[in-house]
Amino acid sequence: MSLNVDSAAVAFTFKGGMLPMTVMELSSADPERIRQQLAGKLSQSPAFFQHTPVVLSVEKLDEPHLALERICAVCRDHKLLPVAVRGGTEPVRQSAWALGLGWFPPVEEGRARVLESVTSSPVHEVTREETEVSEAEAPAIATRLYRGTVRSGQQVSASEGDLVVIGAVNAGAEVLAAGSIHVYGALRGRALAGIHGNTHAGIYCRELEAELLSVAGNYKRSEDIDPQLSGRPAEVHFTKEQLEIKPLG
Amino acid sequence: MAKIIVVTSGKGGVGKTTSAAAISTGLALRGKKTVVIDFDVGLRNLDLIMGCERRVVYDLVNVIQGEAGLNQALIRDKRVENLFILPASQTRDKDALTQEGVAEILEKLQEDFDFILCDSPAGIERGAQLAMYFADEAIVVTNPEVSSVRDSDRILGLLASKTRRAEQGEDPIKEHLLVTRYNPERVTSGDMLTLDDIREILAINLLGLIPESEAVLRASNQGVPVTHDISSDAGQAYSDTVSRLLGEDMPLRFHELQRKGLLSRMFGGGRR
Repeated sequence: MSLNVDSAAVAFTFKGGMLPMTVMELSSADPERIRQQLAGKLSQSPAFFQHTPVVLSVEKLDEPHLALERICAVCRDHKLLPVAVRGGTEPVRQSAWALGLGWFPPVEEGRARVLESVTSSPVHEVTREETEVSEAEAPAIATRLYRGTVRSGQQVSASEGDLVVIGAVNAGAEVLAAGSIHVYGALRGRALAGIHGNTHAGIYCRELEAELLSVAGNYKRSEDIDPQLSGRPAEVHFTKEQLEIKPLG
Repeated sequence: MAKIIVVTSGKGGVGKTTSAAAISTGLALRGKKTVVIDFDVGLRNLDLIMGCERRVVYDLVNVIQGEAGLNQALIRDKRVENLFILPASQTRDKDALTQEGVAEILEKLQEDFDFILCDSPAGIERGAQLAMYFADEAIVVTNPEVSSVRDSDRILGLLASKTRRAEQGEDPIKEHLLVTRYNPERVTSGDMLTLDDIREILAINLLGLIPESEAVLRASNQGVPVTHDISSDAGQAYSDTVSRLLGEDMPLRFHELQRKGLLSRMFGGGRR
């Protein structure tokens, strides 16, 4: 901002951003089947359906023509806001643009990661993926890999994506990530996932001895952790407004 | 070119100076030309443990500040050939040390010696950082207790980041773990951390294990490094440690309650 000398003359600036997006991966093109399934989901987890922006992924569909307008209407009825379509044929792309939606090219094999699904469902899976809106050609998901022991007094952070530690995080050390934290070793220090507020982030470790666990600012200290979980493989998630720690596997 | 080895720990009172004295003596006894430098400016101890306190004229700070030549400050050990001591100053503080000064001294010593041991002060401040800065290898001295292990962990983090090798992107410092004051009886009763606990947390190569021993206190007070006391368990353990430092394979001793047959089977070569 300080560089912007003539700030009155500038109406806007373009900025690259990595935003968490829900991808709704369609495995049926039938708007009625989607409607039924969505109604069921809405009653299960109403908190999720609050004008949530979604990207409709039609990559798994074989149909050249889609009733895209009707599918979008069904989504809006259930408080999901389609903002873009991903994949599909040329007619699909044209109709997306006609509806005022964006279009993304299909994702290469293996890039999409199913991080969390509301429930496992044959019709659609809610996947979460970082969607990039910037000049950069390839939207790389910034996973930081750290090999070795994170020692007392050291801090290792992944400010954009996930953090993977192949080694232990010792007492007095701190690991932070905008996304999830994976520790292939003992977690004895502090682990803070979702530091920018991503409540879907998780913490996974081979041996839970943590001093502090936090997901999107919701934390538990070691004395709040069930001693039965101590020293065992565990995963940590933010569910039902609190941190849930479970044995892994 | 001499190998520069820092003896460090973070925590005080764990046996850094005792170990620096014992290991440098051991190296010299095997014919390696060795100098041991006391970096604990203001709390000079190494000269006492080496038994040369009455022969100190000039010290490390005098050399750095150009008040004396290096050869004037080096004290030749009376018991072993090839062993020299560069004492610290008792009247100054650690701010008297400069990185350039230390670099210059180490450079000169490297021409003449095989090993340069830097006896680090406790803590992680200037004195400790200068002692480790130019090191090629580090001996991290740890007691079987939680606070000592955590401080050693902290030091290992600094060795990997705040040293010349780290800053210049060279091969990392070779880290060795030396567990001292190990008492198998108290480990068995649960008062002390086990060797396996320490190794699991610190995750570095084990160089040696020194049992808690009356010989160590006796040696310190007499000013004779415990390596000379070859009948003592600690003396033998330091001797083993020196052998491993020189690349020999030695089985681990003194870590279990008088069950020697079992331990050699369990630990194989003694080093992992």
